[in-house]
Amino acid sequence: MRGWGLSALLLLSATAQAHVSSNGFLVARVEGREVSGSLELAVRDVELAIGVDANRDGKVTWGELRAAERRLDEYLVQHVGLSARGRACPMTLKPLQVSERVDGTYVWLPFSAACPVEVEQLDLRYAVLEDIDPSHRGLLSLTAGTITQTAVLGGKSTASSLQVHSPARWRAFQEYLSAGIWHIWSGIDHLLFLVSLLLPAVLLRRKGHWEPVPQARPALISILKVVTAFTLAHSITLTLAALDLVRLPTRLTESVIAASIIVAALNNIFPVVTEGRARIAFAFGLLHGFGFASVLAEMGLPHGARLVSLLAFNLGIETGQLAVVFAIMPLVYAARASVFYRRAFLPWGSAAIASLALVWLVQRAFLPTG
Amino acid sequence: MSADARSSAGRPRGIRGRLLRAGLLVLSALSAAHAAPYVPSSDSQVLAELPAGARHGTDATRDLARSRLDIALPMAQFYISRARATGDLRFLGYAEAILTPWLERTPVSVPVLVLHATVLQSRHAFTPALGELDRALKINPQNAQAWLTRATVLRVLGRYDEATDSCGHLTPAADPAITSLCLQGIRGLTGHLRDAYGAIEALPQQALPPEVRAWRYSELGEMAGRLGDDAAAEHWLREGLQGAPDDFYLRAACADVLLRQGRPADTLELLKGYESMEPMLLRIAIAHRLRGDGSGAQARALLASAFEVEEKRGDAVHRREQARYYLDVDPHPAAALVAAQENWQVQREPEDILILLRAAQASHDPQAALPARQFLRERKTEDARLLLAASGS
Repeated sequence: MRGWGLSALLLLSATAQAHVSSNGFLVARVEGREVSGSLELAVRDVELAIGVDANRDGKVTWGELRAAERRLDEYLVQHVGLSARGRACPMTLKPLQVSERVDGTYVWLPFSAACPVEVEQLDLRYAVLEDIDPSHRGLLSLTAGTITQTAVLGGKSTASSLQVHSPARWRAFQEYLSAGIWHIWSGIDHLLFLVSLLLPAVLLRRKGHWEPVPQARPALISILKVVTAFTLAHSITLTLAALDLVRLPTRLTESVIAASIIVAALNNIFPVVTEGRARIAFAFGLLHGFGFASVLAEMGLPHGARLVSLLAFNLGIETGQLAVVFAIMPLVYAARASVFYRRAFLPWGSAAIASLALVWLVQRAFLPTG
Repeated sequence: MSADARSSAGRPRGIRGRLLRAGLLVLSALSAAHAAPYVPSSDSQVLAELPAGARHGTDATRDLARSRLDIALPMAQFYISRARATGDLRFLGYAEAILTPWLERTPVSVPVLVLHATVLQSRHAFTPALGELDRALKINPQNAQAWLTRATVLRVLGRYDEATDSCGHLTPAADPAITSLCLQGIRGLTGHLRDAYGAIEALPQQALPPEVRAWRYSELGEMAGRLGDDAAAEHWLREGLQGAPDDFYLRAACADVLLRQGRPADTLELLKGYESMEPMLLRIAIAHRLRGDGSGAQARALLASAFEVEEKRGDAVHRREQARYYLDVDPHPAAALVAAQENWQVQREPEDILILLRAAQASHDPQAALPARQFLRERKTEDARLLLAASGS
């Protein structure tokens, strides 16, 4: 019975289990179009892949490894590939070093790769030792911004894909959108400014008197103009400030925001500007933008998702603002013809707003902060 | 019963346990964090010594093995035997690479299927291994090799009736001594321990080929241990090691007997030079802890780091060792229980029963020991150590 040696061997090998399998350690960081990092392969695996032991004495020396560096680079270019949106990110390998791990010495290969487009999804091909040791795996640790994800590469399928920014970006987007909405609701000063400008939108100023608009259309146009001007203005300054291109002292911007409410409210009682309220909205909107920016500055913009977060925050502000407009303006429109609205609500409401804003102005401009 | 055991024992702790273990591993890996890369100072510095069979030079032979089965089979067999002797999992990968192209051919060769089953079984992929063996036996029901491997896998899974059945199929083709070892090994686990021990002891030693002798010694050593006779166990295992010093299983089993008797110095002596094998390293770490002199930090760090890499890979090969690590090296009963329960889903040898009972006891969770107790009751497995652990809680 030839082969019984094998049988006994098979029987016992169930309990005779072994230590580590072959692993490569791939550490990469994505920044924009750049992917950089290192790949670590066991010296033993490198020998199997390309043959390093030139003098065949069963030992791999540093000299032999260095002599094989070029061939190793070629092997890696053939067996490890990075691409984004179907386009290859050519890899540049830097001079190799060695590192020590628990199961022996590893070859440490730093690399950088430049992708033709910004990397949102990284496609990896990992076929190291594919035909020699199918149990070899690449243990990937991929960092983008503050997020690190891990994956096991190789095995049956050599290709894998990792979403690089989307999860982080999407999360940042949601977070900053809700921050924007929340801020417009809690930051009542911005709303009061806007409301002060909108209250007369359903009226027309004729010969020193307020008259209701005959149809909805002119009111809508007026509302649209004011809201658009305000939005445009604060978006500009919010962006400039958030990206650190312009900076104004908080005390100044907060004081001027309070002053802007007084101006807008008083303009309803003693009308000076009757047709061009959109211009007021724009001019002061610029300063309100700085106000929003100071909130954003406290939160900070996440690295790698700055623009997305900024956009989300701004969209949040617009959403909150539009919700208020949609809630109030139909009521105001319905009440426009009543004497109460024109003679009492508009002037006295505006006076109340102005007084409140005056308190804020004093607090913000003259009282010590904190 | 296995379905019930699965849901009650394995799953609920899964995530928490995984997190817990991951946390522990990170903590221990921090202390073992590997050094920064460097440039060696001299060209003559040796970076690695290549074990036999791990040279690039074998490439040409590997190419030949693609077209010639008479080269592929002994080559795969060689790698499997290297894996067994060195405890090095990479060799299993090399064997698999040789077999893969042959697995895709039709008709597939029976020895290829059996060798593939062996590779799978060595990686604890028991169910796929059984699949390959059943395929092989469908083609050739007379293949004694396949029946024997099948018996082994079923025995590890605790499916003793089916294992006995597989041993029975060996009879016409195989040496009666092999059939006897196969059958008595299972009788020894199903209520006839003393009887089976006597039967194996009575097998004529001289008539057996060397590898089967090692198998007989390991069986005798294990049975003596289960009978509570550690002196006899050590005797059999050492005797076996004399004839087969490379036998991984005999050495690990012998180390366990020594550890059980509280003999760390002898254990360290026995395992000197075997530090690169994870299961041996575990026993070295336990010996250091038994000595209580604060030595063994390195072995501990190495193990923690190896477990961490396995965790990352998603391998479950060393759950049993992990459980033992968290009981005997770096005590964390909760982590030990999770590993022991996951291990129980994979294999059910006496060692696995013991580790589950001990982990349940250490975590004061008698409920967790129920699957193991039920298993013992149903199969009437005798084991002095198991009885101690089973009555302990």
